[in-house]
Amino acid sequence: MKGTASARRRLLAVQGAWNYERMLGIGMGYAAAPLLEALRDRDPERFRAATMRSALFFNCHPYLAGLALGALARAEYDGVSSEQIIRLRAALCSPLGALGDQLFWAGLLPALLGASLAAIALGASWVAVAVFLVVFNAIRLYVAHWTLQAGLAAGMKVGAAISASRLPRFVSWAGPAAGFAIGVAAPLVGEWLLRPFGPRAVLGTLLLACTGIAASRLAGPRYSAPRFTLIAMGGAVLLRWILS
Amino acid sequence: MSDPVLTVVMLLVWGTVVALDLVSVPQVMIARPLVAGTVAGWIAGDFASGFRLAVVMELFALDVLPVGAARYPDYGPATVGGAVLVAHRGSWEESLGLAVALALVVASLGGWTLGRLRHRIGRAVQRSAPDLEAGDVRSIGRLQLGSIMLDASRGLLLTAVALMLVFLTERYVALDAGTGALLSVIAVGSGIAAVTGGALRSAGRGPRLRWLVGGGVLGLLLVWLA
Repeated sequence: MKGTASARRRLLAVQGAWNYERMLGIGMGYAAAPLLEALRDRDPERFRAATMRSALFFNCHPYLAGLALGALARAEYDGVSSEQIIRLRAALCSPLGALGDQLFWAGLLPALLGASLAAIALGASWVAVAVFLVVFNAIRLYVAHWTLQAGLAAGMKVGAAISASRLPRFVSWAGPAAGFAIGVAAPLVGEWLLRPFGPRAVLGTLLLACTGIAASRLAGPRYSAPRFTLIAMGGAVLLRWILS
Repeated sequence: MSDPVLTVVMLLVWGTVVALDLVSVPQVMIARPLVAGTVAGWIAGDFASGFRLAVVMELFALDVLPVGAARYPDYGPATVGGAVLVAHRGSWEESLGLAVALALVVASLGGWTLGRLRHRIGRAVQRSAPDLEAGDVRSIGRLQLGSIMLDASRGLLLTAVALMLVFLTERYVALDAGTGALLSVIAVGSGIAAVTGGALRSAGRGPRLRWLVGGGVLGLLLVWLA
């Protein structure tokens, strides 16, 4: 479809106008504009209505937004009714949000970062950072390309296209991989950072880490790692001042 | 970098780009503290110290799950500020803790500014509602580009605040070596607590927990072997 390359580029900024009113809506409208452009001459009334619909409330994971964008643009060209398009738009929010969050934010990203941190502790230095950036973005750009193509091809049948894709299977791998990578990285990074401080510092760190983990479990959403750290630092400085 | 003005300009540009990357554009993960701090340490003239700070801040950032409308700290420009402080103070063992404290304060401030930005964009969307209802493409473009410019301004201001705090800390905060080292150990311990606590929350009680524990055992084994 004409405008696909431009839409793909604009998808990189799909959260550019993120707000509590329409969430990703404006970004989706901005990305949809090149795809809908061909409607302008063919059916100006439909073009205006499609543009209006493209910027309505929408929320999903930004990396999977291409699936919705492609499907909705295709539906506009197929002459699907406004009610059906708006229903599809609403129906895609939750599954694309949940899939993307589990695949990227809770899976691939912590898995790659955990692996990078472990590699740094084992001596890889900045190379690990460069490899992380290259691998993550190669996957991310491939997904951006695939989602838009799959959405444009599937139209109203995008739900079936998602189910038939490998996305759900990747999600089931990504979570355990993230857990494993973080598990490996935490002790390695701790040892790497504490090497110059000696065994007393390691013991102190372990005690503090256990206190922090217990606090995060007990306090639930009220716990904040920055707050815990600043309180611990303030307490330590105060104690040192009193004892000196 | 030998020219201090050029260094400050480069840090401001880098902090702005990093802040934009968090949400607006292009989300290629240069906003991760590991990347932001490594580059900032290099710009500030002490890659090794900035790199250590970047690793510690990444432990904190891994505790965050940026889903939906969740509010979270903006660790990118904060890590830039922290990396500059640790790079300027010399011995990272004595300055890491102080730099992490500064970065955490700036990160929390950054999280608050993100919330304000989202409300401000929301008000702009409300003002443009008639044009949006009419299907005006230019109005969508104006909102999108205007919002990105606002976020860039936020990032620039946040980085400037971080660098100003670095300057004030350098000038007015003097710590003895023991207190500096103590704060560094607390920073590392809290970072380990943050990343482990976050991983445990994500793991729940499912198979992911077994993988997390298995990874932890392997990590400890590697530490013992090293």
